Amino acid sequence: MPRYAMVIDQERCVGCQSCTVACKSEWEVPEGGARTRVRNAGTRGTYPDLLSTFYVSQCNHCDHPTCVPACPSGATYQDANGIVRVNKDVCIGCGSCVAACPYGARYINANKGVVDKCDFCASRLEQGWEPACVLTCPGNAKTFGDLENPGGKVFNMVYRQGATRMESAQVALGPNVYYVGKAGHVEMAATAFPVGTPKTVAAGKIWGAVAKKLVFLSVGATFLGQAVAFFRQLATGEKQYEE
Amino acid sequence: MASTSIPVEPLPLSAEDAHLLSQSHIKKHTISIVLLHWFNAIVWAIELATGSALIVAPGYGFMPIWYSKMMDSLAGGHANLLRIHIAVGLTWSIVFVIYAIFGWRHFLRAEVLRKEVGIDADDIQWLRIRLLLLLNRTRETLPPQGAYNAGQKLYALLVYAMVPIIMVTGWVMAMHRFSPFLIQWSMLLHFIAAGMVVSGLMIHIYMGAVFPEERPAFYSMITGLVDELYAYSHHFKWWREVKLEEAEWQASLSRKSKLTAAVAASTDDAIHPRPSKL
Repeated sequence: MPRYAMVIDQERCVGCQSCTVACKSEWEVPEGGARTRVRNAGTRGTYPDLLSTFYVSQCNHCDHPTCVPACPSGATYQDANGIVRVNKDVCIGCGSCVAACPYGARYINANKGVVDKCDFCASRLEQGWEPACVLTCPGNAKTFGDLENPGGKVFNMVYRQGATRMESAQVALGPNVYYVGKAGHVEMAATAFPVGTPKTVAAGKIWGAVAKKLVFLSVGATFLGQAVAFFRQLATGEKQYEE
Repeated sequence: MASTSIPVEPLPLSAEDAHLLSQSHIKKHTISIVLLHWFNAIVWAIELATGSALIVAPGYGFMPIWYSKMMDSLAGGHANLLRIHIAVGLTWSIVFVIYAIFGWRHFLRAEVLRKEVGIDADDIQWLRIRLLLLLNRTRETLPPQGAYNAGQKLYALLVYAMVPIIMVTGWVMAMHRFSPFLIQWSMLLHFIAAGMVVSGLMIHIYMGAVFPEERPAFYSMITGLVDELYAYSHHFKWWREVKLEEAEWQASLSRKSKLTAAVAASTDDAIHPRPSKL
């Protein structure tokens, strides 16, 4: 079973947004939503020693995704190949996973009322094609492949060239989108767009802390009540109302 | 039967009286209520079975995961399970809304609501003694009850409060085009409201289907009828009301027959005048 991953070479990315356009047209992403984004991480240094870069972000298909356990209905799940996917037939757009993602990789598709995000173009992979953004990128800044194939480009970039994960000291979920670039590039992107904190929505907190206990106690109490009455009935024998 | 012979409070019955009462029946439920009850029961069975299997996340889930997997397999996938839950639930709410629109004059009147959910002093006593009787801690007799006893009234109040919540939140989630915030809270409220109804349902099903003293109530949900002995001993105030109505009806019948006789006589006189003295 492959373990899909992507490497983004920040030295090759010129911020042309071709990947964004390809993604939007491939997945009919409505205005305001994004499965992948290219953001300017700013400029550093003084002329003529300038460094500037772009941060290409999308779903990281983490090894330990926080969005999967956050989804009440099980619409968000992880395939054996590591791809985190959303089952649109089960999703009701509650957005619990949107809050749980520290990368802001998810959005709510207002047209469909469901959550949408990058799935490494899973349906294209099944047809043997690369993800739309990878195929489109004019600078070949995006490399997609199997992390467990030692002869593959991704394996080479991650394990030999030292592509890094966007993680913070607090939030390390094992993201599978890796970054390489000139010295300072990755750090600039990480500083400009720091990893967030996975959050649980208020209603979700109350569900676990209060609602579940309340319902269990209440149903349990009445169940116990009728069970006591039932065993009394068995013990004493039935008395028909006519007698 | 003259109204004077209807007792004001339940008197001990002789064996013969009890036998006579057990042989005659009075109507408790109309056919629409009987059908609605069993429609409702089937819907609740389906919705509880599917709904509890829909929630699978560790922080939210409350059923074992094998149960969810079993229901998924029965429905042909988690998405189908959700579709069934939504289709049945929306149908249920539409049926009840139609029922409310066409039937509101019949059951949303003050006296009907008082009969169904109005708690009085007798009801409070009834609840106390009923509970002690179940635990075998008292020998007191239960105070007379109306068409519904205090337990049924409490359950009705609970259901009246929770069902609108379940329906509205269900629609919000089925549409899922509104704000995610609304959907999150709808899920929570849907779960709590259904849980509260289930806690009442435990007693409702036990009392209806298992508890021997209420067995006529169970059969009344099939035939619509209860025998008078049960009505007399369990719902005396209601039995008395029915009897008074019957007596009133009888009296009006006899008044009517006197009136028609008089009218007939006078008409006779008009058409066939008696020979007057010359």
